Amino acid sequence: MADDKDVLRDVWFGRIPTCFTLNPDEATEREAEPYYLLLPRVSYLPLVTDKVKKHFLKVMKAEDVEMWFEYEGTPLKWHYPVGVLFDLHASNTVLPWSITVHFKSFPDQDLLHCPSNSVVEAHFMSSIKEADALKHKSQVINDMQKKDHKQLWMGLQNDKFDQFWAMNRKLMEYSTEEGGFRYIPFRIYQTSSDRPFIQKLFRPVSPEGSAHTLGDLLNEMYPDALTRDGEKKRYQVLIHGIEPLLETPLQWLSEHLSHPDNFLHICVVPAPTD
Amino acid sequence: MDPARRSTETWRSHILRQLKHRDLSQTSMFQDLIRFYTQLLEKTSLTKAVLSSSNRRDCADSSSSLSSLQEQTSWMKKSTGELAYQVVELQQKIQIKTCFLQDQQDSLQVEKRRLGGVSDACQTLQKQVDHFNLENRKLKEDYDSLLERQRWAESKLREQKVQEEEMLEKMLQLKNQAAARMNNRNERRSRARQATLQKDLQTAARSKVTIDSSSSAPSSRSTSPKPELHVSRGRGQTRLFRKRRGHSVSSLKEDLLYPVGFCVSARVPARSLQVLEAHEQGINAVRFSFSSDLLATGGTDRIVKLWELRAGSLTHRTTLDGSTEGITCIEFDPMGQKVLAASYDRSALLWRVDDSVPKVALTGHSRKVTAAKFTRVSNQVVTGSLDRTVRLWDLQRTACVQQVEVVSSCSDLVCSENIIISGHFDCKIRVWDSRLASCTQELPAQGRVTSLDLSSDRRQLLICCRDDCLQLVDLRRWSNERLCFRAEGFKCGSDSTRAVMSPDGCYLAAGSADGAVYIWNVSTGTLETRLPDKHSSSISAVSWSPSGEYVVSVDRSRRAILWSDI
Repeated sequence: MADDKDVLRDVWFGRIPTCFTLNPDEATEREAEPYYLLLPRVSYLPLVTDKVKKHFLKVMKAEDVEMWFEYEGTPLKWHYPVGVLFDLHASNTVLPWSITVHFKSFPDQDLLHCPSNSVVEAHFMSSIKEADALKHKSQVINDMQKKDHKQLWMGLQNDKFDQFWAMNRKLMEYSTEEGGFRYIPFRIYQTSSDRPFIQKLFRPVSPEGSAHTLGDLLNEMYPDALTRDGEKKRYQVLIHGIEPLLETPLQWLSEHLSHPDNFLHICVVPAPTD
Repeated sequence: MDPARRSTETWRSHILRQLKHRDLSQTSMFQDLIRFYTQLLEKTSLTKAVLSSSNRRDCADSSSSLSSLQEQTSWMKKSTGELAYQVVELQQKIQIKTCFLQDQQDSLQVEKRRLGGVSDACQTLQKQVDHFNLENRKLKEDYDSLLERQRWAESKLREQKVQEEEMLEKMLQLKNQAAARMNNRNERRSRARQATLQKDLQTAARSKVTIDSSSSAPSSRSTSPKPELHVSRGRGQTRLFRKRRGHSVSSLKEDLLYPVGFCVSARVPARSLQVLEAHEQGINAVRFSFSSDLLATGGTDRIVKLWELRAGSLTHRTTLDGSTEGITCIEFDPMGQKVLAASYDRSALLWRVDDSVPKVALTGHSRKVTAAKFTRVSNQVVTGSLDRTVRLWDLQRTACVQQVEVVSSCSDLVCSENIIISGHFDCKIRVWDSRLASCTQELPAQGRVTSLDLSSDRRQLLICCRDDCLQLVDLRRWSNERLCFRAEGFKCGSDSTRAVMSPDGCYLAAGSADGAVYIWNVSTGTLETRLPDKHSSSISAVSWSPSGEYVVSVDRSRRAILWSDI
C-alpha cells in the first residue's frame, strides 16, 4: 500500500539533530566549536561521524586516536543503531542531542573498539543473518549472493533507500500459508536493567491463527511495560521514536518498522512526568 | 472486517501521524539551522586557514596590530638588507661569469685562427696533391708511349728475325746448290778421268808391251792392278775406302795392294839433271811414288806439289793444298793414288792424286806430326808426332783407332808387315806390333834419330842420327852389330834430315848440312860419291826413285835437284 511505502520512507529518512561537543579535558590548540549534525536513525555512529572526527581533529594536537562518544556519562555503544541510542538515552530531552566527543581514555570495559567500517559491516551482516534465521530459517539470506549482501551494506552506508530495499524486500517476504515469519526478530531494550536486551522466540501468528500484536508481545516478554487499567502510564514503548498502538500487528511492525538489520528494536523508557 | 480494517487503519494512521510528528519536531526544525551552522563553520575555518597562511597573527586582535606592523617593518628592513647583500653577491658572480665568458671567447678566437691556418695548410697540401697527380698522369702517358714504341720495336725485331731466317734459308739453298755443282763437277772430272783411263786402257791393251828395263817392270806390275782400281772407282770417292773384294783370280791380295817393286841395280847419280825452284819457301820433304813417275815435294809453304818425271825432267802436275801449316813428311800410297802428308798443323792430310782438296784430315795430335805412313794393313795410317804419341788411324772411319804413348817424341816411322818401327829423340828405336800396338823391342841408337828408312826387301833398317852417323841394322837378326857410316863433312842438318837407301840396297844417300849429297857404298862402307855445289843450303831430304835411276834432293832454300848418272 502507498501508506506502507511512506512508512518505510519515513522510517529510513528519520534524522536526529545532534550537537557534538568536544570534551574539555581533551588537549586542544584552541577552543573547539561544537559540531551540529543530523544523524540518521537507522545508521550506526562510526558510519556517520567522519565529519565530526575531521572537525575535531583540526584543533586536536594528537592525531589518529580512536573517537568515542558519551551522553551524560554513558559511553554510547556504536553497535546499536543511532535511533535506538537516542530513544533509549535521550528520547524526551531537549533537542539537539548533545553528545560529548572523547578521544582519550577509551573505556575498554564498556565499549568495543571499532577500528574501521568493515567491523560495522560484519556486525550489520551478522544481525541480518540472525534475523533471517529467525524469520526464514536462513533460507532467504543463504539464497542471496555475496553481491546482494554487499548491496544491502552499501545501501545502508551510502544512505540509498532504493538500493537497500531492492534487496531487503526479499527478506520481508513470507509464504502465505504461514501468515508471517517463523519467528519475529525483535529486541526489547530497557533503561534500568542489567540485561542489555530481551530477545526471545515469538511467533507472529498465534496457534489459533490470529495475528499477534505488540501488546501480545509485551505481555509475553515484558509485562511491566504495559499499563494496567487505572494506573498512570509508567513506560513508553518507543520504536523509531514513536509509540505505536498496542494493537498494531506484530507481523506488520516487523515488516515495516524494522531497522535495516531486520530487527525490531523496541525501547521501553520511563514516561516523562511533566 | 470493517472494524478490523478500521482498527488497522487506526493503528496505521496512528503510526503515520506519529512519524510525521516526530519528523517535524525532531528533524525539520533543526535541519536548516544545522545546515546554516555547518556552512558558517566551514566558512570560518576556511577564512582562518587563509589568514593563518598569510599572517600568523589574529586579525581581530587590534591591540597588537601596531606592534605587529612595526615588527613587520623591521622584518622588511632586515629582508631588504638581506636582499641588497644578495644583490651584491649576485653582481660579483655576474662579473666572474663575464670574465670567464671573455676568456672563453678569446680562446675561441685563438682556435678560429688556428683553424684558419690549418685549413690554409690543408689547401696547400691539396694543391701539392693535385700537382703530383698531374705529374703522375704525365709520367703515365710517357710510359704508355714508350710501351707503344717498345711494342712496335719488338714487332719490327720479329719481322727482322723472320727475314733473317728466310735469308739464311736462301743462303743455305745457294750453298747447297754450290755444293751440288761442285759435286757435279767432281763427278764429271772423275767420269772424264775414267773415260780417259778407259781410253788409255784400250790403247794399252791394243799396243804391245815390251819388257826392256827394270824400270818398266815395276810400272807394269804397278799398272796391272790399276784397271781393277779404276773400275771400282766409278761410283764416287767414298768407294776408295771400302774393303776391296777379291776381283782377279791370279794375283794375291797383298800383291794387289803392295806391289813389290824390284830394282835390279841402282845407278849412282853423278850429275844434276834439273834444278828447280820448287816451292816458295823451304822444302822439308820429298818422295817418289812407287811407280817412279810421280814426285811429291812439300815444305813450309803449306802445299804439296806433284811433279811428273818424264825423260829426265820434272814437270809440275798438281798442287795439293789444304794444310794450314808446313808439311813435314809426304808418302804415296802403294797404289800411287793417294798422297799422305804430315803437317805442322797437328794433322795428317790425305789427298787423292790430282785432287787438290784433301779428302781426309786426321786430327788429334797435340803437336806437329812428324811422320805419317801407310801401314801394310789396308786403309790404315800410322802417324808419329812430337807430342810423344804414335797413332793408328782407320781411313774408312777417319778416326784414330789406337793411340800409343811413347816416352819420347817420334821423328820418323817406317812400316813393315805387322810391325811399325819408330825412331825417337831419346836415341831409341822402338819396334811395335801393329796389331797389339805394343812395343816389342827397343833398340838403342847412337844419337837422336832423325829418319828411318827400310830397304826394299825389308831386311835392313837405315837409321840417320843427329850425331852425323848413318846406321844400318839387320832386322832379321836384331843384333847390336851395326854398320856405321860416316863421312868427312857430313853433318846432319836438322832433326828431320832424311836419308834413304837405294832400291837395290847397295847405296845410301843422305843430304848434308853443307849442301852436298853424300852417297855411301853399303858393301864397302865407304863414301862412294859426293855431289856438292848445287844446293845453297842444308839439304833437308833426299829420295831415290824406285827405279834406281834418279835421286831428288830438296833443301831449305826452295831448291829441288834431280840427279842421275846420265
